[in-house]
Amino acid sequence: MIVTIANRDGARYVVDPRKPLLDSLRDQGVELPFGCKYGGCITCAAKLTTGEVDQRRQVALNNRQLNDGYVILCVARPTTDITLEIGVESHDKLYRNPFLDPLKPHELKADIATPPPSSRKAVGHKEQEA
Amino acid sequence: MECCGPGYASPADAIKAPREKLLYTIAIYTGTGIQKPDYLATVDVDPDSPTYSQVIHRLEMPGIGDELHHMGWNACSSCFDDGNMSRKYLILPGVRSNNLHIVDTATDPRAPRLHKVVDGADIKSKTNLSGPHTVHCLGSEIIISMLGDAKGEAPGGYLHLNKDFEIQGRWENSMGDIKFGYDFWYQPRHNVMVSSEWAAPNTFMPGFDLEEVGHLKYGRELHFWDFEKRVPVETMYLGEDGLLPLEVKFHHDPDSTHGFCGAALSSNVIHWWKDDAGKWQWEKIIDVANEPHPDWPIPVPGVMSAILISMDDKYLYLNNWLHGDMRQYDISDPHNPVLTGQVWMGGLLGRAPEVNGVKMAGGPQMFQLSLDGKRLYVTTSLFSTWDNQFYPEIRERGGVMVKIDCDPVNGGMTLNPDFIVDFGQEPNGPSRCHEARYPGGDCTSDIWL
Repeated sequence: MIVTIANRDGARYVVDPRKPLLDSLRDQGVELPFGCKYGGCITCAAKLTTGEVDQRRQVALNNRQLNDGYVILCVARPTTDITLEIGVESHDKLYRNPFLDPLKPHELKADIATPPPSSRKAVGHKEQEA
Repeated sequence: MECCGPGYASPADAIKAPREKLLYTIAIYTGTGIQKPDYLATVDVDPDSPTYSQVIHRLEMPGIGDELHHMGWNACSSCFDDGNMSRKYLILPGVRSNNLHIVDTATDPRAPRLHKVVDGADIKSKTNLSGPHTVHCLGSEIIISMLGDAKGEAPGGYLHLNKDFEIQGRWENSMGDIKFGYDFWYQPRHNVMVSSEWAAPNTFMPGFDLEEVGHLKYGRELHFWDFEKRVPVETMYLGEDGLLPLEVKFHHDPDSTHGFCGAALSSNVIHWWKDDAGKWQWEKIIDVANEPHPDWPIPVPGVMSAILISMDDKYLYLNNWLHGDMRQYDISDPHNPVLTGQVWMGGLLGRAPEVNGVKMAGGPQMFQLSLDGKRLYVTTSLFSTWDNQFYPEIRERGGVMVKIDCDPVNGGMTLNPDFIVDFGQEPNGPSRCHEARYPGGDCTSDIWL
């Protein structure tokens, strides 16, 4: 699989689809933030702009963050060639003031979210399956 | 009483200790975008020193991404009678990495050095615990509240280390029906420990979603333990008055049954005590009203993330991280606190956007009071992801430490004009400071047996 990093001058890396992206990219010298390394803490979040990953093990992202394209690199594995934006520059939509911009019931984390409205099913593939 | 162990014979003796000249605070790069380890900063707080109000040493942790947060000593006044113990090591847990960094502060107090790392993966495999938070010593041994299991799910439990920092397993014999963990404090003469509730690491680490409070993903209960049996025996349901009950403090007087908890989201102080019939009671004694904000659809809660009791048990200090004020209450009558001091610094209400020439990002957050009750050192960062939500400008500006001069006789607090440590100017870029401790023990470190 090939990973292109859009905000690092389009640098390309060949990665093992069986390994978490964080490990594959750090092994090749890409500087990435990370914390817990089990998909729970969001520190390593990056934005996926093309392609698909398998990140079933992540528990940090709510459905709005998933719909905005965020992936948790410490557990995500690519299932196609992908393009990422990495680092805190990609976190523009990751953090929001929860009082000014509340989540709708379907935008919560998978374990407490209501099903998405039918009009949103087109993007349902990005929402986490409970 | 002359003795040879660490700390002081009593709170009254602690108040008479020499004035602090150094303090330690953690500073984080986790979550800031700067690829550097978190570190322990030594701050010069001696006004007669040429480097007063400056960071004079930085001890970097071996890895990145720990999120250092709170810390605790290997020994405190609970070992005052034990000549084999000394207050030499500061324990710095990484909330995200699960690593415990054991730092030798005694060999050279100005330049602490790393003694040992207790590997986070080892803790997970031996105890099924993660998310270390509060560190207390228990005689010659150490207990640490761990907010999750190895997968970051609540309620976690308590890690037990011996004096050589070897993992002894779980401290508690049962978590009972406890849903979450956070802070704890114990009063051995009454055989009681009280613990509070934040949330599962997988809930609080990625950031705060208000809706998750409604879905009961955050705590609202206090738990009273049989300390010797190591089992919870009574739960107090605080309800809407006690949303996110965080910091727990007993009176320093080891004979007292009075204690206090700050409920962060409700922005209330909860007081408990044992009544004449021997039954634990609780009441709300301070209720910080939400404040209107021109840009907010709802009034802004204070977010009281920390409380502290002066060593003479006379004053309670609290912060309102989103409002931007520090407060001092006279709690001589713990049922009827009296507001005696208030200082504004940062916050969202715009009352003090600049302090001593530094543009503030964040609000008053963690604080440490000198043993004599006269100097309160306050920092501004809460937790990386929560900072990023409420104060995104802290990425560029970093955290600060200020000093508030407190009057322990008549009450009152004033911002000291000569002291400010701007962590926005650190050599590797803006970092964020959180908890602070003094080499000789402080107002949140020692418990008397």
